[in-house]
Parts: sequence; C-alpha cells; structure tokens
Amino acid sequence: MRKLLVFLLLMGCVISLCFTVYYFDKIFRSGVAIPGSEDVVEIPYRLVVISQEMDSPFWNQVERGALSAGKELNVGVEFWGTYRSNMEDFMKHVEIAIASKVDGIIVQGLNTEEFSAITKLKAAKYGIPVITIANDVSMNESLRKTYVGSDHLLVGGMIADQLVLDMQGSGKVVVMVSDREEEYQKLRLQGILDSFENNPNINYKIVTSGDSSEQITSATKQLLNEEPDTDAFIGVTSDSATAIVQEVEKRSSLENFHIYSFDDNPETLNYMRKGYIKATIMQSPEEMGIESVSLMVKWLKGEVLPLNHVGYYTDVKVLRAEDVR
Amino acid sequence: MSHIQQKIITLSVIVVFIMAVIWTILTYYNQKSLEQYNEILQRYMRMNEVSNRSQEAVTNLNNYLLAPSEERMTILNDSRRSVSEIEVELDGLQDQGNSFTLTNYRNMIGSLLESIELTVMMHEQNNRTERNSYFVEATKISKFISETTLTLISKELDTYDQFYKNIIEQSSNLKRLGFWMMALISLLMVLFSYYFAKGITRPIKKLTFAARELSRGRFDLDIEVSSNDEIAFLARTFDRMRININNLIVEIQQKAQLERDLQESKLLLKESQLMSLQSQINPHFLYNTLNTLSKKAYLEGSKETSDLIASVAGLLRYNLKRLDRDVTLGDEVSIMLQYIDIQKARFTDRLQFELVADESCYSVQLPGMTLQPIIENAVIYAVEPREEGGVIRMNITDAESMVFVRVEDNGAGMDPEKIQQILSELQVSSVSEGHSTGIGLSNVIRRLRLLYGREDVIDITSESGVGTSITLMLPKNIKQ
Repeated sequence: MRKLLVFLLLMGCVISLCFTVYYFDKIFRSGVAIPGSEDVVEIPYRLVVISQEMDSPFWNQVERGALSAGKELNVGVEFWGTYRSNMEDFMKHVEIAIASKVDGIIVQGLNTEEFSAITKLKAAKYGIPVITIANDVSMNESLRKTYVGSDHLLVGGMIADQLVLDMQGSGKVVVMVSDREEEYQKLRLQGILDSFENNPNINYKIVTSGDSSEQITSATKQLLNEEPDTDAFIGVTSDSATAIVQEVEKRSSLENFHIYSFDDNPETLNYMRKGYIKATIMQSPEEMGIESVSLMVKWLKGEVLPLNHVGYYTDVKVLRAEDVR
Repeated sequence: MSHIQQKIITLSVIVVFIMAVIWTILTYYNQKSLEQYNEILQRYMRMNEVSNRSQEAVTNLNNYLLAPSEERMTILNDSRRSVSEIEVELDGLQDQGNSFTLTNYRNMIGSLLESIELTVMMHEQNNRTERNSYFVEATKISKFISETTLTLISKELDTYDQFYKNIIEQSSNLKRLGFWMMALISLLMVLFSYYFAKGITRPIKKLTFAARELSRGRFDLDIEVSSNDEIAFLARTFDRMRININNLIVEIQQKAQLERDLQESKLLLKESQLMSLQSQINPHFLYNTLNTLSKKAYLEGSKETSDLIASVAGLLRYNLKRLDRDVTLGDEVSIMLQYIDIQKARFTDRLQFELVADESCYSVQLPGMTLQPIIENAVIYAVEPREEGGVIRMNITDAESMVFVRVEDNGAGMDPEKIQQILSELQVSSVSEGHSTGIGLSNVIRRLRLLYGREDVIDITSESGVGTSITLMLPKNIKQ
C-alpha cells in the first residue's frame, strides 16, 4: 500500500516535471518580442498608387502588379483609393499623398479642374512626379510625367472595326457615353468615330447619359422607344454595356442586337458567354501596375530621363464572344 | 551532533528557495509583459499626442490670425516647437509594418509646419489671399494628420496582432507553468518529507525493536542503524550496552559451570568418605584381630594361612590410610601384589598373574587404590566365572612424559555399551558386585580425571571371547 502510494507520488512528480519543463521551454523559447525597429529596411522610395475604383477586378489586378513590382524593385508601394464615384475623397487622397511628400504618385487620371490644379500646382511645387495610369488626363494641361495604360484611341478603333465586321458594314449603331468627360472616353469615342468614317453605311448616334447604372438604363429605355430600329450598342464607359443588356433583355430578344463593351469584368464575361455581348476589350491591368511603378523608379533614379510624354501603352486585344465560349 | 536540526533547516531552506525561484520567475515574466504593454501603450499615446498637438497648433494659428499679438505669437511658436519635438520622437516608433506610413506621417507634420510658417509669413506681408489659402492647407493637413494617426494605430494593431496573441498565450502558459510547478513542488515536498520522516523514524523503530528483544532476553542480535544522526549515536551506545550485558551473562554462566563442577567433586568426596567410614567400622579391632589370627596361625604351623591373613591385614590398612591421599606407583604395585596373593589363595592355579614393570616409573604419583580395583575387575570378570581360570598381565612402561599401565585379561570381554558406560562414569557404585574395597572402575576413572584435570586418562579395548585390555595413561608431572 505504502509502496503504491510512493510510486504514485513519484509518477505524479515525473508527470508534473515533464509539464513544467515543457511550459518552461515554451515560455523561454517563444520570447515575445515587440516587433522592433531593428529589422526595418530603409525604403529608398515611397510610391502611392491612387485609384477611384478600389476593389474592382480591374484595379485589383493593377494593385497586384504595382505591389509585386514594388517588392521586386525594393521600393515602398501603397495602394490608396476610393470606392466608386467619391471624387472628394479621391482628391483628399491625392492631397494627403502630396502633403506626405511621397516620392512618386501614380494616379488614375481625372478630368476635373481641381485634379489638374492639384497635380499641376501642388505636386509640381513639392517636386513630386505624377504618372497617370489607366486613364490619362489631357496632355497639354497637365504636368504629369507620362501615362501608362491602354491606348484608348486604338481600343475604340478596334471595337468599331469588330462591329463593322460583325454587321457586314451596315446598320444603326448607338454609342453610349457618359456625361463625365474622361480622357479615355473621349479617345475611345474618337477611335470609334474614326473607324466609322471609313464605313459610310454605318449610321451612328452618340447618346450621353449619366454615370450611374439607373441613368444608363433610363437613357437606353428612351432610346429604344424613340429609335426601335437600332441594331447595335457600344457602351463606352465601364459597366454601361451591362446596364444596356439588362434593359434590352426586358424588351426583346437579344439575338437581334449587337452590344459591345470595353470591360472584361465577370458580369460582362458572363453576358458574353450567353452571347448577349458580342465583343469587348481585354486590357492588361497588371502590366499597367508593374510598368507604372518601374517607370516611376527609373525616373526617380534618373535612368530614363525624360519619360515619354505621350505615354507607355500596354497590351490590348479584342475578346469576342466566340473566344469566351 | 545536530543532524536532525540540520535536516529540518535544510528542508525549510530548500522550500523557501524554490518558492523564491518561482516567485522570481513569475514576477519577472509578469513584469516583462507589463513593460511590453506599457511600451505599446506609449506608442499609441505618442501618436495620439501628435494628432492633438498638431490640432492645437492650428487652433493657436487661428487665434493668432484673428487677433495678432505678441503673446499669441509666443503660444503659437510654443506649439510649433512642441509639434517638431514630437516629430523627432516618432523616430523610435518605426517598425517593418509602418515605416511607409510613418515617413508619410512625419512629412505631413513637416508640411504642416511649413504651411503654418507660410501663413504667418503671408500674414505679416498682409497678403490676405495667400494667407487664407495657406491657412486652409494647414487646417487640411492637420485633419490629414488626425486621419493618418488612426491609420497608423490600426496598422499598429495589425502589426501587433501576433504579438498580442503571443502575450496572451504566454500568460496562459505562465498560468499553466505555475500550476504544474506548484503540483511538482507539492508532490516533491510530500515525497521528501516522507523520506525525511522515514529517515528519522526508521532508526527509532529499529531501536525500539532492539530494546524489545533485549527486554525479552535476546542479547545476541546486533543493533544496526545506518543513519548518521543522534539516533545512530543512541543505537551505538545501546549496542555497546548489549555487548557488555552479553559478556557479563557469559561470564556468569561460566562461573555457574565451575560451581557445579566443584559441587560434584565435593559430593564425590563425601561419597567416598562415607564408604571409607562404612569400611572403617572398628578397623583397628579388625586389623589387630587379623594380626593376632596371623600370629596364631603361624604359631600353629600354618605359615601359608598366616601370610594370607597378613596380606589381608596389609590390604586393609592400606585401604584405610591411603584412600584420600596420593601415593606412588610403587606403593600401588606392592598393595596390588598383596591383593593378588589373597586372590591366588582363593583361586590357586586358576589365577595366573604376570607382571612386567619398568621400575623407574614407580615414583609416579597417582590416587590411592587405583590399580587394585582394575585388577579386581579383571579377576571378577575373567577368572571367577571360568572354571579353567584366566591370565592377567600387567605392563608398566615408560613413554616419555607418560607412564602406561596396561592390564590385560583373557576373559569373555566387555560389550561396547558397558565400556561407554564406564568411560562416561555412569556406572553406579558396584558394591553389589562384590568388590572388596567398594571402589568400582568408574570411581577410579573419575578420581584420575579429577587429579590430572584431563579426560584421556584411560583406554579400554575389548574383544568378545579374547579378552579385555585397560590402559591407564598417567602423566609424570601432575599439573597443579
């Protein structure tokens, strides 16, 4: 009995010794340390990418490209921005970037006076280089270093050519544009019109609507009422094509319409798979991110001086409904 | 000799030491966590302080612009200085997570200070438009700073997320460590005190057991206590006492044995004296009468009878005088010869006696009446029962320190049991067997042993139908 008791006590001792050592080791080894400043790598340049449409698939790819380029080039890149259509907040981000005296601003261009004033006056005053991305501002009014993104003039032409091809050179086309006169929209429209000029059998009409999907829907509704013989739509601004599809779908068979978009977002791709949207443009957002950051770094280091003022165009290609299926 | 005290003190010291170690460890880690918490809190406070001071600076600027005065200028300058002071302090807050934002933050503070300066400058130059635009910018930047403070703090939370988790885990580990350590120490203490108590009580138990055995009279068990404290000392003392008592008892037993031996010899002496008294009944009368009878027989011409009676008288006188005295072998031989004469008269030719003696040995001392009973024995067993008679031979030889006296007969022999009986002195007085002197063989052996103080004084060999040989071994020098 006594021996058993002693044995049990010994066992208890051994077990608790094991646990004690185990926890002691754990505590000793984990050695919680405050994430210190000793392993901070001094970043040579701080670059900020500012977008108006954060979290859209397009800009997510831009962000991915920019951040990976930043990591590769060992410069600090942060992706700032606003969600849709909050221009005030967007301007604030630009101002913060300027007040923070970052080394470079890569920004989605905005065709407002305020924007050009800020980029022109403040950024230039602090000597901060600005590169526009995805959407340019008019070259002459801005002091931006360069533009990185798609050649929207070319893009417009490509879509128009595809349309002409699809419609065998004749038909009635409605070109939906936004009342916000963004540079890319202007260029795309220019491209479309240039193409249509070579095809006199194409009848076209330019319809301007608001930016929101409701405004586009109502504009489409009105248009279909006024001109029921329309054969094709081109949604120049982002997301306008999907709004058009939704409206047209309610009225008649979509087979009769040729609808064209400039986006490659999932919704558009979905409609393309169904055959509702005939073609769209594939841009290269990731490439834009990478290219813009590396150009900025090159400029900062003085490797490429000056930058091509016209811009650096990234790859574009026409994506037809047949390709998606 | 304060081992038990030492043991107790050692135990207490160990307990206190372990407790102190645990306390130190737990306190150390707690202190460490507290410091870390503190440090983090300090960071937050400092960031918040930046936000507050920059706002204050803008407020002071506004106050100054509304109503410029020396005093307000001083206040503004103070707050500007305090902002730039804290900007320097921000340097220590850098880590891998926030270096980007922190640099922005510091630059923003720089921009704020510049804007404030420009505002003041423009104000002094009375340039209202410029002044206002710079003031608006300063206000904006101060707002940005506040916002960035929030961003920084939220980044901080991100960065320290793992750290917080670690700290929480650490503290729970500490708790568990404390629990297990407590358990370990408790168990160890129980075990230790068990063995400690055992170490004290086991020798006491042994001692108790030994005392009980002693009290029951067992003095031959060793008392062994292996510890080295007071108990062991007690046990050693106790053991010495046991050994002493044991020795005393052995001594007493030896003395008792001696006493018994003495008693026995006294009894024997008394017995023989009694016998001699019995045979002393009017001995002088008997002796004188025998002498008268001898003379009368001589006078009547019966010379042979006369000699016989003289021999009997001689024998009687020797017997009376010499029984309790040592005599020489020579005396013994002559009295033995007289006895043979008497027996020859009785058995005539049936008794043949041959004596071969080394007379140089006649001076050896021996108890009186030693040879006669042996011869008588031989006569009784070898001559008397046999019609054709028997031969008795006596040899006295010198063997260096001894004298051998051998008496041989050619009688029927003795059986071994009888020999054994004789040798172990068990044979009772053999008066009944017709000994003339009343002294048997056993008596002779006992007296010889008593006199010489040794056991091997006699050797008896016997063969049935051939004869018996009794050899006495008499040392020449008697030990006193």
